[in-house]
Amino acid sequence: MSNESQQVVLKHEAGSGTPLTLRNVSVAYKTRKGDVQAVRDVSLDLRAGESIALIGESGSGKTTLGLSIVRLLVKSAQVTNGEIIYRRNGKEIDVLGLNKKELREFRWKECSMVFQSALNAFNPVIRIWDQMKDTAQSHGWKDKKAIRQRSLELLKFVQLDAERVIDAYPHELSGGMRQRVLIALSLLLDPQVLILDEPTTALDILTQRTIIDLLRKLKEEQHFTMIFISHDLAIAAELADRIATMYAGRVVEVGSADDIFYRPRHPYTLGLIRAVPKVVGDFQELFSIPGSPPDLIDMPSGCKFHPRCPYATDKCRQEEPDLVPVGPEHMAACWHWREVEKELQSKPLHSIS
Amino acid sequence: MTTVTTPLPDLHEKPVESSAHRFFHSYLFQKTLKALFTAWVVITLTFFLIRLLPSNPVELFIQDLMVQYGMPYHEARDQAAALFAIDLSRPLPLQYLDYMDGLLHGDLGTSILSPGTSVSSIILRFLPWTIFSVGIALMLSFTFGIMLGLFMAYHREGVMDHILTVLASILSSIPNYILGILLIIFLGVRWGIISVAATRGTLSPGVEPSLSIEFFKDALFHAALPITTYVLTTIGSWMLTMKSSTISVLEEDYVTVAKAKGLKEGRITSTYVGRNAALPMFTLLTIAIGFVVGGSVLIETIFQYQGIGYILLQSVNKRDYTVMQGVFLVITMSVIVANFFADILYSWLDPRIKLGRQE
Repeated sequence: MSNESQQVVLKHEAGSGTPLTLRNVSVAYKTRKGDVQAVRDVSLDLRAGESIALIGESGSGKTTLGLSIVRLLVKSAQVTNGEIIYRRNGKEIDVLGLNKKELREFRWKECSMVFQSALNAFNPVIRIWDQMKDTAQSHGWKDKKAIRQRSLELLKFVQLDAERVIDAYPHELSGGMRQRVLIALSLLLDPQVLILDEPTTALDILTQRTIIDLLRKLKEEQHFTMIFISHDLAIAAELADRIATMYAGRVVEVGSADDIFYRPRHPYTLGLIRAVPKVVGDFQELFSIPGSPPDLIDMPSGCKFHPRCPYATDKCRQEEPDLVPVGPEHMAACWHWREVEKELQSKPLHSIS
Repeated sequence: MTTVTTPLPDLHEKPVESSAHRFFHSYLFQKTLKALFTAWVVITLTFFLIRLLPSNPVELFIQDLMVQYGMPYHEARDQAAALFAIDLSRPLPLQYLDYMDGLLHGDLGTSILSPGTSVSSIILRFLPWTIFSVGIALMLSFTFGIMLGLFMAYHREGVMDHILTVLASILSSIPNYILGILLIIFLGVRWGIISVAATRGTLSPGVEPSLSIEFFKDALFHAALPITTYVLTTIGSWMLTMKSSTISVLEEDYVTVAKAKGLKEGRITSTYVGRNAALPMFTLLTIAIGFVVGGSVLIETIFQYQGIGYILLQSVNKRDYTVMQGVFLVITMSVIVANFFADILYSWLDPRIKLGRQE
């Protein structure tokens, strides 16, 4: 790779304040058996320039939450409650109240999304260039030369051979290349918020590294405001400033990446961390969380995690805990977070690092 | 800072020019060879199958004379022998070789029953009418079928979708000759909307083929009933196939991404959904062309529309071997040529299939 392509610098204004606020957002899928409560009562603030990771098992509601921000939920799903507030230059937009036209303009320009399966993210019958041009023109760009210029710049930024890739058809690119093209495409309109849904899941380990380095560059050099959706804790640890753990559609713990990794207070987060094998250090027996995620139609009473939780008591079976502060900027929804704290003091995590 | 060095695959591999050239040629060559082989097999089969039909043209003619004019057998036979300059007692393999020899020289032979009239002139006279009526019908039913299918997929589970789906299923399950007869009975006889007698034939008496509006109007008037029948009986399957194709494309990630990119609805429908959903339709279209030419036999007979199908039935009834062979050849060739074009068209519409063509 030439040095030249590494030096591409994007002009991105990180902005300030809180571009995105979710308030008590709930999403339900209508099915024959009943409503699937995929997201329940989620409140989050996304600050300018920060990257936040949503982690959790499959089916915990991460992707649904991500999709609801750009309102791309399938027809059977609906935001049943809550507010999504987007801010830019002091103006507030109620995302859920946007009409069709406003929504179309909001998408990608303000908030773009990198999808999990970049393999199928491109229209197979038209060239990458046409897909970039499409996007820019839909948002009012007229000058084709400028669009091409910007596209080439972005493709170079994601370390692709821009001149070649831009005139290629999607099937001529490998999975990793397509993922990078998709990232370049997501930056085309310089959105304020970037949502990345499992950006590395479908890739092999070396390509994953490339993408992670690229995303870190976006974060560290460009200060993009990002939401990461991932089940991979290692990636979350590398890329996120803050982490929110989701379980059964709720955020059960949220805090800085350090807090979550070194001082988790929710038994579920603790379980997730212990379930990751360590590369260095002695061989330890891997921990796994017993049981499986709850049925989202017919959920257990009280704390939804209690059937799988080693700390569960009668109280957990009856009452669902709210998020409470467990440290500075650190919240957890557990009746027994102090016991988790105690246990960690006697048996600390990550003794080597 | 980590340095990323991912080797880029060569997108447009440029092998040695001559080998690319050779591949292109060999692909065409293979295709042509296959097409020729298919044609030969079908020609040979029809040649022998036709002669397996009970009776033969001379016998039928003799019987005709005996029944109609009450001639004794030997008299009728003598007259037939004087009229027809063919010798059907010649060994079949030799007749076959003669026929193949003629074909290779582009000679389809002459009609047995109308001596002196070449088969190619008969085909040239009747084929354009079939191409005209079938072509217009296919274009109409394909275009509207695809649009309706797209509409149904976008409004699936809606009232219109249910109505159209039922309608399409009914239409595609009615055989075209039944619908043709129904049209004659209702439009022509019961309701008297169209004078069936006036629409018979391909042109009204006195109208000559020319580049005038009158001519086209008259041609369309005569072709209207066959076209209506073709359209109504084929549109249903276009609608249903396009609907299911569109539904599966609508679930593709690139459609979701297109929405996420904030593209305009019309752009998504045409370039992202429509184009991809219609891709398999084009293959079906070219195949349909071949079959509709063959399927025109009954329709053209019902409406007395003098196209290739009408002529085929006439020649089958009279066992005019050479004309039958000629018409079957046309039908076979239309299927083969249509398939050939399907391949080329598909590779043009879908960049993933490239026929080994190089930039």
